[in-house]
This record gives sequence, structure tokens and C-alpha cells, in this order.
Amino acid sequence: MSDVDLDISDEEKESTRTDFEKLKLESKGKAVEDKPSTSSPTTDVKKPIIVIVIGMAGSGKTTLMHRLVAHCHETGKRGYVLNLDPAVTNLPYGANIDIRDTVKYKNVMKEYGLGPNGGILTSLNLFATKFDEVVGLVEKRASELDYVLVDTPGQIEIFTWSASGAIITEAFASTFPTVVTYVVDTPRSTSPVTFMSNMLYACGILYKTRLPLMLAFNKTDVTQHEFAVEWMEDFEKFQDAVECDKSYNANLSRSLCLVLDEFYQNLHNVGVSAVTGAGMEKFFQTVDACRVEYMENYRKELDERKKEREAIEEERRRANLAKLERDIAESKGQSVVPASAPKKDVLHNEDDEVTDVREEEEEDYDSEADDDDDEEDDDEKLYRYQ
Amino acid sequence: MPRYAQLIIGPAGSGKSTYCNNLYQHCQSVGRVIHIVNLDPAAEHFEYPVALDIRELISLDDVMDELKLGPNGGLVYCMEYLEDNLDDWLSEQLEDYIDDDYLVFDCPGQIELYSHIPVLRTFVDHLKKWDFAVCAVYMLDSQFASDVTKYISGCMASLSAMVQLEIPHVNILTKMDLLPNKSKVDKFLDPDARLLLGDLNDQMAPRFQKLNKALAELVDDYSMVSFLPLDIRDEESIQFVLSHIDNAIQFGEDAEVKVKDYDADMGDPEDAENFDVGNIDDD
Repeated sequence: MSDVDLDISDEEKESTRTDFEKLKLESKGKAVEDKPSTSSPTTDVKKPIIVIVIGMAGSGKTTLMHRLVAHCHETGKRGYVLNLDPAVTNLPYGANIDIRDTVKYKNVMKEYGLGPNGGILTSLNLFATKFDEVVGLVEKRASELDYVLVDTPGQIEIFTWSASGAIITEAFASTFPTVVTYVVDTPRSTSPVTFMSNMLYACGILYKTRLPLMLAFNKTDVTQHEFAVEWMEDFEKFQDAVECDKSYNANLSRSLCLVLDEFYQNLHNVGVSAVTGAGMEKFFQTVDACRVEYMENYRKELDERKKEREAIEEERRRANLAKLERDIAESKGQSVVPASAPKKDVLHNEDDEVTDVREEEEEDYDSEADDDDDEEDDDEKLYRYQ
Repeated sequence: MPRYAQLIIGPAGSGKSTYCNNLYQHCQSVGRVIHIVNLDPAAEHFEYPVALDIRELISLDDVMDELKLGPNGGLVYCMEYLEDNLDDWLSEQLEDYIDDDYLVFDCPGQIELYSHIPVLRTFVDHLKKWDFAVCAVYMLDSQFASDVTKYISGCMASLSAMVQLEIPHVNILTKMDLLPNKSKVDKFLDPDARLLLGDLNDQMAPRFQKLNKALAELVDDYSMVSFLPLDIRDEESIQFVLSHIDNAIQFGEDAEVKVKDYDADMGDPEDAENFDVGNIDDD
């Protein structure tokens, strides 16, 4: 890790801070402009529902978001919009918090010498380091909001599989009722095999996030999603479809169907069309149903996980502090680059330490343990001459 | 005789290119010839020598500039362009590789390619048509083996690619060298249904019990979703993974049989070498 990297992250940090300040002002302004017509805020401390919209690239997440935002405005629901996709070029809807205001994706790519994927991932990592502030912002306005809509990067794996995605999801889930919406590209899923692999993926997300999951079958204006509902409700029908389609290992597909059949029991699904706006009412009804589910089933478990995480965090902080003290002692008053750069915090914490230890070990071997080396040589010879 | 191919797939950042590089170095040190093909139009620098590069056909930057597409749309366009040019461009390029050559395809990391878009599927079908024995090698970051729910989600992703591609499939847990505690991973390498179920029931809300059971049984019944650990610092670990893949595509098995014939007749030295390679793999 070079010094340059660390410097940049510090700059980023600073700009983040100022931008958040700006954001606060902006969002306050917006709230006044946008919602003059809504009824006076309800007195109880009803928390908004966080709707995290996840989907494969091209499934129409952003268009769906646009539609949802528009629907919120029409029906007087008070929505708050977050965009987490740093690479999006034009956003059709106005986002209250936009990752692009904080992190410049193009600059990250240039500065770190990364490709498009790495750039998005790093931008998200940088943003995740400040995510508590975002949650704070939402929390402040919690009493006057109904829904918080979160758009995620087009590269689904960056959000669902990365550490920063997990941090963001958990930060929300531990404070607010959170629902994950998996957007399915309905026309592309008409083939049973594609459908199956999509559902398996959704199942993976359910296990990764451990939050209520709802499927939104998008693009129903092109292809109605009835076929999917039928497959999900009737195990036999899906089985038939799979067998008609391919001569794939019948046993495996049967087992998979069984698994998926159980999976569907835990799912809500809704057909929507981002283009025509069909199914919007149903969408929000389903979100409300998920909220109830969250309150009943997930709350307690999440609290436990939160405690666990806090303990780990505490541990990490102590370790970092110790490291910092050590560094200060070592540097003896000279200027030092902070040891705990934000980037490292987000990624595997132990990685670097482990690597260091390894390297030390290897050096030891080289200098002291000549016997070992000989043995290794013998092994290699065996490989070659066998 | 067939040609052999590994298709290296897996989510972005799972270590595909690193694996290719290490595999190449390993093969060089054991005196085996492999050719690495880059299929990622967004890749920029390689540590291994690239035998064949999709960027000779199409470059992501050009696509993004000219068609005003974002990174994702651009990539999908590139891959679909490749699909259209399989018969012209790729088959021509692959003609250089004859019997028994061993190719490794380094694929882009976009998940969509393995589930939504049939590009990779078409690609595999073409390879099969050209008499390639293909094996999909699914890379997964070892952080997925850190707890049971992540493990299940990793399995699901791998299964989803498996269902789509329908070729021999080897799952690999990469970055094992970065794990602080390796013993924790052991139970996921050879999962036991009951243990897995117990863990799952602990972690998930009670109403998921049936689903947990179905999943645990699935993992137990189909050893296909088991994982091989890969520590790229360890030559033996690479050898272990490679021998599994070779086994899946039956690399070296033909060679063995033929060598015996030739040995009796004329003792072809070239094939005798292959024979040796096959033997090492079996170790």
C-alpha cells in the first residue's frame, strides 16, 4: 500500500465531510419545497421503511426507481431517495442523497488505476466509511418520512457480495425496517433455466442479507409475469417446464425445484412495469407487508447481531488505537501517514497483518532453516523426475 | 484428440486473473504448456502472457465512447459482439491450437453473463462443437466460507452458473492465504448436512427451517457444490486444484492409453512426455 493511496483517501474523507454538510442544507430545502401538500406529520415515532432495490444490470432498477419516486409524489407518500450507483451518468429522478456528490467515480478510477468494476467498488467502499452519517441524516428526518428508496449499482455483485454492501445494508437494517427488493427482468426469465438461476441468485441474497425479500417482476408491459407466479405456486408445472426445456440432470433439477419451492414460501412477489406504472399500488402494499414481517421476525435477531457487531467493532478500534500508539512511538514525532486508512477498514481487516506475518515467517525460513529448504528441493526434484 | 479448456468464471474480484497467472507459472515450472485467453474486454494489464485477447476483436473503451454506453452495457455489447463473431474470429484464432493443447479462458466478472445473458452458454456450446473438453472453474472469495449463510449464498451463485452452463464444474475458494483461521473453513469444504442445518437454523428466523433443510440436503446430495481451497502461495495447492480440473475434463487419460501403444511400436518421445504429465496429475 503506497503513501499516495492513503493521502487520497484522506482527501476524499474531507470532501465527504463538506459534501455532507452541503447535503444537509439541500435536503432541508427540498423537504420544504417538495412536500407542502402532505398531511401534518403523524405524532407517533413511526419509522420509514428502507427499500433497497437490487437487480442484475439491465433489469430496469433505475427506471423502476424513477417510477416509484413519481408514484410517491402522486399519492402523497413522503419518500426519500438515495442513489448508491457512482457510475450512473444521468439520473431520471432527483436523489436526496447521491453518492456522486461525494465520490467522483472517474477520479477514483484514475487515481487508483482501476478498471470500471474496481472503480465502482472502491467508490462504494469510500462511501461506506461515512455511511453512519447517511443513516444519521435519515434518522433525523425519520418522523416525516414514509419510504426511503435506495438505488444500488448496476453491478449486482458489487452490492450484494462486497463488504461495503453488507455494511450499508446492515447499517440501515439495524436502525429501520428494511426490505430488499430483487428486480427480475421478466422477459429474460421466461426460460425455465434462466428463471431457476435467477431464483437461486435471489435465494443467495436472502441468505446473505437475512432481511425480508420481495421479488419485483419488472417489465410486465412486455411480458406478463403470470407464468412466473404459476411456476412459483405450482411445483409440478415448473418441474414440467424444466424437463421440457432441457435434458439436464433430472435429479439435480428436481432437487433444485424442491429447494426453490421452499424458498418461495418465504417470498413476496409483485409484478410491476416501470414504463407504464402498473402494479405500483401493489408494490407499496407488499412493502408494507414486508415491514410487518420485519417487525415480527427480524427485529430481535438483528438486535443481537448488532450487539455482536458492536463488540467486534470495539475490538477493532482498540487494535487500531494500539497500532496508532505504536506508530507514534516509532515515528518519534515525525509526520506519519495514518495507519488505519478508510479503505483498509472496509476490506478485510486482517489481510495485511496476515500477509506481513507470512512474509516475516518466510524470511525466517530463508535465513535460519536451511534444512527445510533442502527438503523442499527434494520435493521439487521428485515432481520433475517422477 | 480433443483439445482442453478451462473456463475461469466467478464474481468480480474473486481472483480469476490471479489464478490464471499463478496457474501459468506453476505449469511453466512443471514443464507443462498452457495458453491463457483473455475474454474480459475491460482488462488492462496482465501478468501472464496472453495467447489470445478479446481486445483484438473489440475494445470496451471504443464501445463506451462510440455507442454512449455505460461500463455494464458496454461489456454486454462486447460479449454479444463476441458471440456474433464466434464462428469467424474465434474459430480462426483457435485453429492454431491443435490436439491436446490446453487453453484457459479468463472471463469477465459480471454475474449477468452467467445467468441472464446466454453469451457464455453459446460460447461453451461452440467450444464443445469444436471438440474441446471444457470445465467451468468457479472462483469464490474465501470470505464466503466465513459463516454459513454466506456459504449458502455462495453455493447458490455457483449453482446458478452450473445450471446455466451444463458443463463439468469445479468450485474453488480463493484467497485461502488471507484467512486468519483456516480451521473454520474446513467444515465448509466437506459439508455435513446435519451440522450445516444446525448452523442455519441458529442463524435464520424459525420460519426458514424448511428451506434450510432443503438447502442442506441439496448440498449434501450433490457434491458438485463442494469447494476446493486454493492458496496461491502454495504450489501444492495449485497442483491439487489443477489435478481436480484435469480429472473433470479427463486430461491426460487419452495420452496414457496411447502412450502404451506407441511405447510398444516406436516410443514416441513427445507422447511419452504427456504420459509423465498425466501421471503427476494423478498424484
